[in-house]
Amino acid sequence: MNQLKTSLFSLVPALIAIVLGLLVGAVVILATGASVSEAYAAMWQGAFGSLYAFATTLGRATPIILIALAVAVGFRAGFFNLGGEGQMLLGALAGALTAIYLPGPGLLKLTAALLAGFLVGGLYALLAAWLEIRFRMNLLITTLLLNYIAIYFTGYLVREPFYDDSATGGLSQTVMIDKSAWLPKLFAGMSVHAGLLIAVLATLMLAFVFRKTVIGYELNMLGKNASFAAYGGIDRIRVMMYAMLLSGGLAGLAGTGEVLGSQYRFIEGGLTEPNYAWTGLMATLLGNSHPLGSAVAAIFLAALQTGARGMERNTDIPLEISGIIQASLILFVSVKITCSFVKRRKGKQADGSVV
Amino acid sequence: MDLLFDVNLLNATIRMVTPILLAALGASLCLRAGLFNMSLEGLLLVGAFGAVLGNYVTQNLWLAGLIAIGFSLAFSLVFGYLTIFWRANEIVVAVALNLMATGLTTFLLRSIFDVKGAFYDKDMIGLPHVDIGMLGRIPILGPMFNGQTWIVYFAFLTVILLYVYYYKTVSGFRLQAVGEHYLAAQSIGIRVRAYQFAAVLICGVLCGLAGAQLSLGQVTMFTEGMTSGRGFIALVAMMLGKSGPLGILAASLLFGFMDALSVQLQGFAIPAHITLLLPYLMTLVALFLYQLNQSKRTRRAGHRSSLNEWNT
Repeated sequence: MNQLKTSLFSLVPALIAIVLGLLVGAVVILATGASVSEAYAAMWQGAFGSLYAFATTLGRATPIILIALAVAVGFRAGFFNLGGEGQMLLGALAGALTAIYLPGPGLLKLTAALLAGFLVGGLYALLAAWLEIRFRMNLLITTLLLNYIAIYFTGYLVREPFYDDSATGGLSQTVMIDKSAWLPKLFAGMSVHAGLLIAVLATLMLAFVFRKTVIGYELNMLGKNASFAAYGGIDRIRVMMYAMLLSGGLAGLAGTGEVLGSQYRFIEGGLTEPNYAWTGLMATLLGNSHPLGSAVAAIFLAALQTGARGMERNTDIPLEISGIIQASLILFVSVKITCSFVKRRKGKQADGSVV
Repeated sequence: MDLLFDVNLLNATIRMVTPILLAALGASLCLRAGLFNMSLEGLLLVGAFGAVLGNYVTQNLWLAGLIAIGFSLAFSLVFGYLTIFWRANEIVVAVALNLMATGLTTFLLRSIFDVKGAFYDKDMIGLPHVDIGMLGRIPILGPMFNGQTWIVYFAFLTVILLYVYYYKTVSGFRLQAVGEHYLAAQSIGIRVRAYQFAAVLICGVLCGLAGAQLSLGQVTMFTEGMTSGRGFIALVAMMLGKSGPLGILAASLLFGFMDALSVQLQGFAIPAHITLLLPYLMTLVALFLYQLNQSKRTRRAGHRSSLNEWNT
């Protein structure tokens, strides 16, 4: 009971941030001369108004949840993995190519594709971790730069060697994945697919890992106090490698899920334009890098985005307003994080861990 | 190869280096004052947007420049306020500001100009290209620097100014003392917060100009996400230059050259994606070589947290 109380209490700052974020949104809506209540009503309708709308929200939330978990793994261990985008893209392409070119029954293709997506995403993250450990190249910077390299590299691959020349309209994309290897839709005719189940499973597993396992404990220790962790005999390098592999793998899985469940091919820009990676990062910040919290925050942010689409259809307000609300949310959360951070180790100097 | 390496390439290098250089110098000020400013990307973007908006609304380049500065200054203000007075995590705030910049510019693009993706107007005037007269006749350097915008010359001037400030003035020493050891600086009566805030704000001014150069000095238009990672490249340039003005200049020149080269290479039979990838890859390689060299030396001790983050 007491535990429930404290975990509920930790939600309060996030809720305050959400309210403040929506207030900023309201101010912006007012500035465009529209009615705030109408806009937010349309937004609610667009996100939760019908089963179809809710399914769309959940469909959009699926990759965001997985990326949020990916970032959360890093945060727990005390470092920022800002390379979710690149890991997601490379994972997605690897998954798509596996599903397209691997012979065999559909289920085998599907499993192999998910595995390939996880591995390639994980290895790309591991590359950044290795550069940090071995050469002390700052993880923030390398993961950021690796994003751009992945964007252009995958773009090149689907433009040249794996280009689907039967496509009309000149979109850079691979050929379609065989129908047998698709992730099934959860409801016929709606966008939410079985990837959501994977995301939920991953959330529960991660919550379990953080709470009950040795590696979860080591991760937490490393993130909370790196020197104490070292004193306690935790091998920082090993934990970091595992964490980055898992983190990148989850990001890769996010991309692969989208490819297998909703786009059925790798399309250039198909994963970057919806901004899944950065939304995932925001979800983690909002959810205080707790797996369940991050997943809920991911659904909330996805609702904000699908809701903004509905709002744009029914009012004059551009859907880009959701970006402003999300970013201001995080600004408010940033203050909250620091408050608890300062409280936790009052008067102590930061020990090199980032969060 | 004659076609590839010509004076045009050098001229383009100087043009392309300017946004990176200005942003990197701004970040250097912040880092020397003990703040790791990763929001450069967002500052550049809003600066670029502000310049185009100002140009469109006022038809006056001076005002456009001021509005560009105003936009990035507003963002810097938020960064400074949250990180200095609320002690918010610099990286979290920077990430949020970068996202805010993307969201706000696309939103304003839609609500003001009613376009998606890019805004271009034939009545908009780009920054004038200055003819430096006799100086332009100096071999190589002349054609390199001739016909650039005022912002370009200002960027190179800033390198010198910052050098003098860091190494020849008392205030410069104090600023660096703040970054080296916050509490020690405070204990001898330096107004640490004021120094940090000033550094952040000047960084905003420099980034505003850098953004104006991006949107008005090179193309006279605004495209969504047109900074495409230049802010992060500037951050690397600052690291490679060890946050010293001359080092930053050298590193920025390297990246500006890669930027220009990647444009020039598109005329050859190399896929566009590969040429676009080159600057980022080169940045990584440069960082790699730098760290390889660095790890052989003993690291200087006694830096405050944000510098320590490089070493974790």
